[in-house]
Amino acid sequence: MFRKVLIANRGEIAVRVMRTLREMGISSVAVFSDADRTSLHVRMADEAEHIGPAPSAESYLRIDRIIDAAVKHGAEAIHPGYGFLSENADFATACEDAGLVFIGPSAQSIRMMGSKTAARRTAMAAGAPVVPGTEHGVTLDEVLEFARREGYPVLLKAVAGGGGKGMRRVDRDAELESALRNAASEAGRAFRDPAIYVEKLVERSRHIEIQVLGDRHGAMVHLGERECSIQRRHQKVIEECPSPLVAPDPEMRRAMGEAAIRAARAAGYYNAGTVEFLVDRDRRFYFLEMNTRLQVEHPVTELATGLDLVKLQVEIAAGARLPFTQEEIAWRGWAIECRIYAEDPYNDFLPYPGKLTRLTRPLGPGVRLDGCVYEGWTVPMEYDPLLAKLAVWAATRQEAADRMLRALREYDVGGIRTNIGFFRQIFEDPEFRAGHLHTGFIDEFLARRRAPEPPPDLAAVAALAASLHTMARAGTANEAGGKSLSSAWLEAGRRDLLR
Amino acid sequence: MKLWLIANGAERSMEILAPAPTCRFRLAGEAERTAQVELAEPGVYSILMDGRSYDARVEERPSGVVVVIDGYRFEIEVRDPRRWSRRAGGAGAEGIQSIAAPMPGKVVRVLVAPGDAVEAGQGLVVVEAMKMQNEMKASRAGRVLTVAVKEGATVAAGEVLATIG
Repeated sequence: MFRKVLIANRGEIAVRVMRTLREMGISSVAVFSDADRTSLHVRMADEAEHIGPAPSAESYLRIDRIIDAAVKHGAEAIHPGYGFLSENADFATACEDAGLVFIGPSAQSIRMMGSKTAARRTAMAAGAPVVPGTEHGVTLDEVLEFARREGYPVLLKAVAGGGGKGMRRVDRDAELESALRNAASEAGRAFRDPAIYVEKLVERSRHIEIQVLGDRHGAMVHLGERECSIQRRHQKVIEECPSPLVAPDPEMRRAMGEAAIRAARAAGYYNAGTVEFLVDRDRRFYFLEMNTRLQVEHPVTELATGLDLVKLQVEIAAGARLPFTQEEIAWRGWAIECRIYAEDPYNDFLPYPGKLTRLTRPLGPGVRLDGCVYEGWTVPMEYDPLLAKLAVWAATRQEAADRMLRALREYDVGGIRTNIGFFRQIFEDPEFRAGHLHTGFIDEFLARRRAPEPPPDLAAVAALAASLHTMARAGTANEAGGKSLSSAWLEAGRRDLLR
Repeated sequence: MKLWLIANGAERSMEILAPAPTCRFRLAGEAERTAQVELAEPGVYSILMDGRSYDARVEERPSGVVVVIDGYRFEIEVRDPRRWSRRAGGAGAEGIQSIAAPMPGKVVRVLVAPGDAVEAGQGLVVVEAMKMQNEMKASRAGRVLTVAVKEGATVAAGEVLATIG
């Protein structure tokens, strides 16, 4: 087994990987940019190395500096986390060339599955169903022709894509040109590759993915599905294991699992990976893409299967065989995760970086929190605003949803805006509770939701707290008839459930 | 002590009749109430009222205070009535329009200069945070009076970027 592993990432995933490494008795090496000197992953690591300025192109995406850091610190392997270089075949190759083990699949597998169009070809060759679409980047004329043939709506996607960047829905010819231009420019900025391909958009579809795990000796299993249909800006925000759609249908899970394994095998895959499927209203599933890395939402699979995916990743990378067969994998209870972001859900989910002035974390039965924040930390504006992943486990979906609501109530983050209050509304929503999920859920929810009315006495209590706090600030807290307030207080506005 | 509160644009007087910890108070139009108030943590008040327990978290903002109780958020302005005065310019909102940053971020592009004529909806300044770009647009037609930021500048939420007259 390795003695020292470098984590080529930051934020919550770097912290999450380090926790397992520590449990395995492996030393961890953190890398950090100027913006992350006091970030939790640096503080938690056994060793740390500065790799450049804040922009990720000059730090977390610098293959040379990360390899140098690993060699300098004597690390034997590199865990890439998710995002950044995790699906970069050149990085996997560079690790190998430097005599370091890349904790993930081979560079060849990443190439076969990294580009979305290449992945579609691989999956089709393996006999997995795919949504109608093009097998390569397209010009405006080609998109028009495709749309006329398949009908609107269509979805433009970045060939090199991920995380919803470069993705646009198009409903009519007139929107195509600007949508294609914007998607290409966004893809160019995010992936340095502006190529866009087009797919038929399947309305009210679900996004359900299968976790696969293979060793370097040819064994491969699937660890069941994750329901990831609750998305904003094409990015998942709530994930569940199992899926409310698949849970009552073991045959569907078996069929999806086998299709995922076939697609992964076609790419010669090993280590942890995820095959994403789109599921239409008739429960037919189509291959979307493969993520050749650990997923953000892996904790829900861990909670439902009782496995530690990072530990398995490290063991597989070190040459171990899978310690179980498909038949030995069992799913127990229900796990749900919320991605807690520094963002304003009532202002188009715009990021809201800044200083955390106050933090109370949810605790208690069945709660797992993978985070990277602490009181007094400033959320940098250079990176993804994910603060933490709040996951809960309970025996049933209803109980898990109740537990999530309870945990969200305990969760308090001050100084910045977050989507915590927004999640509370979703978990109280009858449609969500009934498991009627699809990728357009949040848009429809926002259109139908009513601003929640606070309980009657809350306004009075808030008024009292505001008054006493202001008086205390003005030095009159203990003299009810005291002197004037020292400062004028400006106009205030709306009140609603937020945070 | 009597105070003016403004929440949701509505003014309301508040009278504090006895100080913490056993606080008696009266909101205009309501009966006198008693509450046990303790400062539990910095900025966090534990309030017991009518047998119920509340944790009120108070944050100070340039525009007043934000009180969060059980996830509900109240933006409240507290004023001493003896200092009360109408804010100058408050009625002239249709005169000069300020365009403020909706989120903390970095100014990546300034699209106009003072003196430029702008149409309603025209882009003025582009602010970026976490790779998300947000174009701040003119709320109405007019002339750019001031541009308060330069490209590359870091801005806080609510910071004025430009004004139109």
